[in-house]
Amino acid sequence: MYGVGIGWRPEISGFVAELPGLRFTEVIAESVPATGPLPAQLTALRDRGVAVVPHGVRLSLGGAEPIDPARVRRLATAADRLGAPLVSEHIAFVRAGGLEAGHLLPLPRSREAVDAVVANVTRAQAELPVPLALEPIAALFDWPDDELTEAEFLTEILDRTGALLLLDVANVYANARNRGTDPAELLDALPLDRVAYVHVAGGDEHGGIYHDTHAHAVPEPVLDLVTALCARRRPPALMLERDGAYPPASSLLTELDAIAAASGYPAVT
Amino acid sequence: MTTARRQPEPPAQAANTDQGARAGVASGLGERQAALVAALVAGAPIPEGFDPRLVEAARRALLRKRAGDVAWHWPLLAASFGARWPQVFAEWADGRPPQGAWQDGLDLARSVPLTGAAAAELASRTPPRRWWHRRRA
Repeated sequence: MYGVGIGWRPEISGFVAELPGLRFTEVIAESVPATGPLPAQLTALRDRGVAVVPHGVRLSLGGAEPIDPARVRRLATAADRLGAPLVSEHIAFVRAGGLEAGHLLPLPRSREAVDAVVANVTRAQAELPVPLALEPIAALFDWPDDELTEAEFLTEILDRTGALLLLDVANVYANARNRGTDPAELLDALPLDRVAYVHVAGGDEHGGIYHDTHAHAVPEPVLDLVTALCARRRPPALMLERDGAYPPASSLLTELDAIAAASGYPAVT
Repeated sequence: MTTARRQPEPPAQAANTDQGARAGVASGLGERQAALVAALVAGAPIPEGFDPRLVEAARRALLRKRAGDVAWHWPLLAASFGARWPQVFAEWADGRPPQGAWQDGLDLARSVPLTGAAAAELASRTPPRRWWHRRRA
């Protein structure tokens, strides 16, 4: 895992395959077939030495109930099949009471929630063949009874599980902007030595609220936050996360070059 | 994006009780998570203490995201509504918990009169059931 990467998605697989300097990519874990052939462009990347990281979105590590063992096995299988150096998931929950939310939902920053996450992360780690990195999410709302600051909440989870951190600077930006706080303060308070890699993404304002859509251009303040992060401690790898409304290749190339410039890593284009 | 993951869904109260008994200390968290999800996807009231404006914004964002996911699986269905698709989907999906983008698209397609390409898309994905399927069912 080194340098600048981009999330592999079927819609842009041709674009990703053509990036000459690419050293790592990420694939949505639930889209990796457990049996049968893997997408040919993905195995081609793996075979030329590009690290491929399965990124889970459905484990619900923050759910009060134990995670589904079948989902963990599926994530482990994806890691094995791709020869992944690590896997990643979110500090969030996606279902409760028999209902699927269809999206990553925030947890209360409480001791009880820390215990629930730690229990589930420990269950997952017992079955996974590689290290697990945890990603804090962008939340549009907070719970009414937060006991811990975001940094305390995250640090305690990382300390108790030994998990790595997948830091999404766009999420840091979105949360700070919507809460009216300073994103740099969170960077100062997080254990940056635990960062495995970083997500960079775009968003859009809708009804006075900034939404982390992954379907818009990366705004300038997010790139500034990449620079601010790298000034504190440069992470081993950073990647553009684009999940929809795919722009022309020239726009993606410009965004990848901008992330390289902001982080000081070589351009991969 | 997962397709057609249909799980039997026990009534929310029963699920909470089981969950609480199993998770012990986390029972409060489980019940509160269930109440929040129900508010976001099943038309339940917003739990006390949350900022209603922000939870409502999240609820609308979820509906937009689902509309995009369903359009990915059912492109001709979505295209048949043109620019009105997000609104049409949101009106249909409001208060209906997600069943996966494929199933949501199927259910919506079956609930509205379709013509042309959208009707053909639905027909191509729901072939008449064969006798051996019928016998097993």
